[in-house]
Amino acid sequence: MLFRPVVISPSVGFRAIGSATILRRSLSLKPNLNKFKIVPPPPGGVEGDVNEAFKHPETNYLEGSYHWYYERISAGCLIPLVAVPLYGALSGTAIQYPILDALLCSTLLIHVQLGLTSCIIDYIPKRKFGIWHNLAMYSLYAGTAVGLYGIYELETNNSGITGLLTGLWIDGETNLYIFGKR
Amino acid sequence: MVFRSGFGRVLSRGLATEVGVGGSGSVGRFKTFKIYRWNPDKPAEKPRLQSYDVNLDECGPMVLDALIKIKNEQDSTLTFRRSCREGICGSCAMNINGRNTLACLCKIDQDERKNLKVYPLPHMYVVKDLVPDLTNFYKQYKSVQPYLQRTAKPADGKENLQSIDDRKKLDGLYECILCACCSTACPSYWWNNEQYLGPAVLMQAYRWIIDSRDEATAKRKDMLQNSMSVYRCHTIMNCTKTCPKGLNPGRAIAEIKKALATS
Repeated sequence: MLFRPVVISPSVGFRAIGSATILRRSLSLKPNLNKFKIVPPPPGGVEGDVNEAFKHPETNYLEGSYHWYYERISAGCLIPLVAVPLYGALSGTAIQYPILDALLCSTLLIHVQLGLTSCIIDYIPKRKFGIWHNLAMYSLYAGTAVGLYGIYELETNNSGITGLLTGLWIDGETNLYIFGKR
Repeated sequence: MVFRSGFGRVLSRGLATEVGVGGSGSVGRFKTFKIYRWNPDKPAEKPRLQSYDVNLDECGPMVLDALIKIKNEQDSTLTFRRSCREGICGSCAMNINGRNTLACLCKIDQDERKNLKVYPLPHMYVVKDLVPDLTNFYKQYKSVQPYLQRTAKPADGKENLQSIDDRKKLDGLYECILCACCSTACPSYWWNNEQYLGPAVLMQAYRWIIDSRDEATAKRKDMLQNSMSVYRCHTIMNCTKTCPKGLNPGRAIAEIKKALATS
């Protein structure tokens, strides 16, 4: 007897394609990779009926004007914060204020974080990239956290970002490790 | 019969006045027009550039004149939109020699040794040849609610009055003909046109935000408070550079950002 009657239990679904019957288990160890796929745009870039209006994304001030505002504020703050140590370095009267230096580092970090957020929204939009967008955002947050720890290290154990950059040109008296120089 | 033999030649005249028609012996100044062709009935065939030689001596001065001449005399399958031929309808927006403009407002370079290339508006879905699919663009325009919203009827029952200064704020905005030249010139719109509204639509959004007669200003602003609608604008300013009507959508978007920041 080659053929046996197949008993289909309720937990096993099946569907017929042509003459073959494919049995699909409801529980499978095969990972579902669909969420990693890039979402193709709808035909003609049009969602829904052609006559209904385009639906705006949800109102979110943090992603809207606040984000824009913080970008401008951080950019504006960077001007004096960069100008003061630059003047000090160029005029040779470099008196270092650790507080100013820490402020410069932190503002720079915030500015970079906001700017890169914009880049990610531009080039890895959630609409199209789904999970990859989230991944990019999480890695950005992780990078910012590492940067924050770096600032802490720079300000406590070294001579701040001003000292770090000055060390590229002048042999500092610090024992700062920059590109193999000590 | 008498008349026809008397004149001796067929009297035919195109839309534009023929300039300097030479005798039967004249060679004519032939300029090559390279035009983007794609036929939806044969989707397997790749889009291509097709060359047409047009005698500039017998053609009107604008690119649209040449396109109509080609369609009349050489290839009736060439497809493009056109209507008013005077830059007021915005139908014939296309990419001519790398610049988005209206074919009816774009003069043909009279140097016949140079080719002239015509493409549809960039980064749009193409319906056929030079006809882009503007459905999404119009849906976005609809989404900014481009109409007057008021709760109360005007006091005299006739008109919503406006001061001269308030009316002046609309100058440079209401002239937009929605040809989509600016939106399709914007790299941000190329990457995110499903969610970013683009300069043309944003300029109209601003036109209703600053209208003194409109009472839905707060609602209009709130609608734009998200990461995609406005803030994908990075002041690239291709929109202002390309506008065939000489308007400034870049400034309008900057004004929107200012209005949103202070609200």
